[in-house]
Amino acid sequence: MKKYILLLLGSFLLASVAYAADSQIWGEMRVENILAYGKEGSLKLGSLFTMLQSNYFAKIFLAILVGVPSVFLLHYLVIGPKVFSHDGKKIYAFNIFHRIVHQIAAISFIVLVPTGFIMTFGSTFGGGEFVRMMKDLHGLATVTFAIVVIPMFLMWLKNMLPTFDDIKWMMIVGGYLSKVKRPVPAGKFNAGQKAWYWFATLGGMVMILTGAIMYFMDFNIPMINEVTGLSQIDLLRASAILHAVVGFVIVALFFTHIYMAVFAIKGAIHSIITGYKEEEEVKILHSSWYKKLKKEGKV
Amino acid sequence: MSVNEMARMKFYCDDDRCIDCNGCSVACAEAHELPTGITRRKVITLNEGIEGKEVSTSVACMHCTDAPCEQVCPVDCFYIREDGIVLHDKKTCIGCGYCLYACPFGAPQFPRDGAFGTKGAMDKCTMCAGGPEETNSIEERELYGQNRIAEGKVPMCAAMCSTKALLVGDAQEVSKIYRARIAAKGKGVQSAPYGWSKAYGA
Repeated sequence: MKKYILLLLGSFLLASVAYAADSQIWGEMRVENILAYGKEGSLKLGSLFTMLQSNYFAKIFLAILVGVPSVFLLHYLVIGPKVFSHDGKKIYAFNIFHRIVHQIAAISFIVLVPTGFIMTFGSTFGGGEFVRMMKDLHGLATVTFAIVVIPMFLMWLKNMLPTFDDIKWMMIVGGYLSKVKRPVPAGKFNAGQKAWYWFATLGGMVMILTGAIMYFMDFNIPMINEVTGLSQIDLLRASAILHAVVGFVIVALFFTHIYMAVFAIKGAIHSIITGYKEEEEVKILHSSWYKKLKKEGKV
Repeated sequence: MSVNEMARMKFYCDDDRCIDCNGCSVACAEAHELPTGITRRKVITLNEGIEGKEVSTSVACMHCTDAPCEQVCPVDCFYIREDGIVLHDKKTCIGCGYCLYACPFGAPQFPRDGAFGTKGAMDKCTMCAGGPEETNSIEERELYGQNRIAEGKVPMCAAMCSTKALLVGDAQEVSKIYRARIAAKGKGVQSAPYGWSKAYGA
């Protein structure tokens, strides 16, 4: 059954050829791979990956894990959260479809991010059975995320296109550096949410793809090699590098997303559970959307 | 092997002698009872079909100096013995594949595990030195194969090499044999053998 779901997920090609094909790594290609390693004029992905993985990746992830929450803690202590009345009128923002899709993605991320960190700092956890289980969970959560990533991309696409508000929003960092409640230029989604949306969906697809490549490892889809111009082993190396680099951004934005929803805007998380946002919150933080709703007579 | 305290074990395959018989590969697989699909040692032919340039050589884990696999492993399952043999702990390994990406020789391999086809613990040449389990225990044998080094024997591949192309042992002893061969032939240059600089530096 589980395998059937996997196949459904577009991994069908990957999975089926993974077993059928002659090895792209240990077969005839091995000679070519060995000769290509560190060859002048090549991308030298083997040594690049070795250098990045042994010196930087874990350190950068640690810096994000400690740094991003520290900045937010400071923000919380110095500037404090935005508190809006929860007794006023409410504005319907997310329908049931939005919420279900979001929740499946949310649960996937709650599994993906910590399991990813555990693998990155695998030696701290002693490796073995526990980290291996986290690796399997990381793969399983990818499946649920892969189911909703395209619906999520499409359902919010129209609202996520850039507007002039976004530039204004960025100039004042969304008003988060001030304690004063002034209307912030933003539509249904502000520039920060938009950035998160693009990285979570398109970046998420990159993560799914690079992750799947590393998971299935020894498969033979000549098209991928032709399009990328990479041999199978270099494709794996490039995937590992990309997976980490895109991972930095996604993890940092994921922490930001949680901080905003849970701490920085008191009770904001309820909007994705019930579907309703507080009118005052919309008036201040999504002023352009509020004006538009008012014009349409929806508030 | 000399009784040198600085003994550093290295593999060396003399491509003038290797006849592409694949005996080393078969002997290795049999000695360690490797599952099908896992080949710790493989004979490769370079410049195939180009007259005068075609050479065959035998590759496995080269037990590199500053082994890249050891550097990238997220769970630190590798350990390098004092004699330079690069070994790993299969119970710690999570089968992520990073060591393979780092390896210049494509040595690490991953048996498929279970219904999902997930990668099992990595397998590679141990230079017949087993693993972290108790030396010559059943567990060590099942996980890593024979521990011939502990018994004072030459690794299987080199022991059975019919042309004695494949040599293994203390680096100085290996180069001594190599130099003697060049001298005896009375021709050819003493260039670093294939893969040597990648594995052991200049």
